[in-house]
Amino acid sequence: MSSPSLKILIVDDTPANSKQLEAVARKLGHTAILAANGVEAIARFEADKPDLIFMDIMMPTMDGITAARRIREIATEGWTPIIFFSALDQMQDIVHALEAGGDDYIVKPASLQIVRAKINSYARVLALQQEVQANAEELRNWRLDAEEQSRLGAHVMSRLTDAAGLRDPMIRHFNKPADMFSGDLLCAARAPGEVLNVLLADATGHGLAAALSAMPLTQAFYSMTAKGFPLPSIAEELNRKLKAILPPDRFVAATLAAIDVRNQTVEVWNGGNPDALFINARGEIAMQWASNHPPLGILPDKLFSGMTETVVFHEPGDLVLCSDGLTEAEAPDGAWFGIQGVHDHLAREKSSNHRFTSLLSGIESHLAGQPGRDDISALLVSVPIDRRRQIRFETPTQAHQGHLAEWRLDLSYGAEELRYIDVVPAVLGFATQVHALKPHQGALFLIFSELFNNALDHGLLGLDSATKSWIGGFELYMRQRGERLAKLRHGRIDISFLLHQSDTRAVLDISMTDTGPGFAFETNLNNPTALSAGNELAHGRGIALVKNLCEQLVYSGNGNKVWARYLVSDLIVELDEVDEDATRGAAGAGDDTDLVMF
Amino acid sequence: MLIANEQSGDRATLKLSGRFDFHSHRDFRSAYEKLLETGAIREVIINFSEVDYLDSSALGMLLLLREKADGAGKAVVLAGLRGTVKQVLDIANFGKLFTIKP
Repeated sequence: MSSPSLKILIVDDTPANSKQLEAVARKLGHTAILAANGVEAIARFEADKPDLIFMDIMMPTMDGITAARRIREIATEGWTPIIFFSALDQMQDIVHALEAGGDDYIVKPASLQIVRAKINSYARVLALQQEVQANAEELRNWRLDAEEQSRLGAHVMSRLTDAAGLRDPMIRHFNKPADMFSGDLLCAARAPGEVLNVLLADATGHGLAAALSAMPLTQAFYSMTAKGFPLPSIAEELNRKLKAILPPDRFVAATLAAIDVRNQTVEVWNGGNPDALFINARGEIAMQWASNHPPLGILPDKLFSGMTETVVFHEPGDLVLCSDGLTEAEAPDGAWFGIQGVHDHLAREKSSNHRFTSLLSGIESHLAGQPGRDDISALLVSVPIDRRRQIRFETPTQAHQGHLAEWRLDLSYGAEELRYIDVVPAVLGFATQVHALKPHQGALFLIFSELFNNALDHGLLGLDSATKSWIGGFELYMRQRGERLAKLRHGRIDISFLLHQSDTRAVLDISMTDTGPGFAFETNLNNPTALSAGNELAHGRGIALVKNLCEQLVYSGNGNKVWARYLVSDLIVELDEVDEDATRGAAGAGDDTDLVMF
Repeated sequence: MLIANEQSGDRATLKLSGRFDFHSHRDFRSAYEKLLETGAIREVIINFSEVDYLDSSALGMLLLLREKADGAGKAVVLAGLRGTVKQVLDIANFGKLFTIKP
């Protein structure tokens, strides 16, 4: 290896010595700078930045020891070896010189061979140093780059995952990243019918790559939830998205849950995450959803199953979802926290708040100050029993300015389409694009989904709502529904919307007709106990709710036709006097019609 | 992680031992790539009986193997599952993606 050419500073007050060293240096292909004393040496050092210094000790003006000390105080990028070259040969002189910052010591007179060998040796060391420095520099640049990317990534991630939905009073959550980023993703949002949807996703690995894999989920989850898509359809879409963009060795374990307080159901899809638990007031596991599917992003669309498990709850409790970072968190002795650890810590307390803190402090003390090896996250939903809950929809107070243009939508779905189309979100997607209807999305979702599901479940599929009130009946009902829907070959549902002006108000009329056999609506619907809002029978609540939200609800035909009128807004009408009774015409306030009304 | 390679007839077995995690990437890949290139082999068996731990990147490596084996017209079988390894594979429902043998 040919050593690079060095710039050697030779400090000696005896010109003959300097000249001799200079000659050796030149012969080896290096350049030499000369200085006659310590002061000159410092000046040359600063001006010329030599690579190597030969330093005499006894010199006028400033000796070599002092000069070496001063040189060492000057901040420089690299290391400049100082070789003392002196006639002083006592051990303490040598020690003194090395302590002052010297790296080597040659006693004069020295053989030129030794001097040559020393120069060559230092040339090698300096070349190595240069390489190390260059590597360090490269590494530093890499790190700065990585930090900058991380900073940008963290910013984008926080914007993308900033979920107002997680601030829902029903939710408590934590997400402890193993790295700067978490590959665990938590999302929550309310569907238009007030159902709370939550998602806990855990991408392969951790750090930026994992965070990146989980990112596409947020948008699909939020937009589909906002439109009221059912959980299986959301799971299918999330899988489709990830399958399309992730490489084969990357996937995302996920738990999706829909909590419907009104119908007292919890629906879960779990693919690759630890069991989701429902802990009741006594701290027992009332329900448990094991992973039933491979994680998202592995299976192609046709093999993927969005099948969920829905359970009815009859007592309040806490639904807990977590990532395997929590269950596989290792204590210093290697023991896993386990799903048992999750349950134990939750069961110790009564309130959701205390349960959550208990879980959080439980995992902290389990880890005993060690950072987790994987991202650790958990999401707790406190699920109340609230049968008499008021639906929080605002009554239309906003007045619509001027006249209202009529809007009409007629749709007809046959058995073929009903088998695979999510009709409710699809239709509401159309309807809520109309400005006047947009603020009513929530109420319209409830009304429309109730009417549509009645038409489909009872009209076409012949399901009996009474099934739902048996123990385990809801699950049976849902299973039957799935089976019968898959086999549906005949039947049709016609839907019609008409937004128009009626007197001084804007109203939306919804009518729906199914080709089913109908039902004895006169006896069923005239029974006041079956339809009161406080009725606890599952099958009575839906229609009671629609009745509450609508101004009028009318069944006709043999029960297979339904018509509902929803008040959208009062119109501002000039000149004409506004008749209070007509404006606020309460449901069933003596309209003369031959149809059954309630 | 250590990988031992056994072959009998048209079957090859990779017997893994130790921790199967993201550090095993290169070793695991070079072990199976050789087998996939061998025309006579129809079935690759991954034996986990000596594996103490499996993380999600190991699951990713198995998926990658599955994809490449599919391309080469070979079957992948997971065998010797027990303890936490079995638990991790069960939670991920890998039984729906791979043939599992005792």
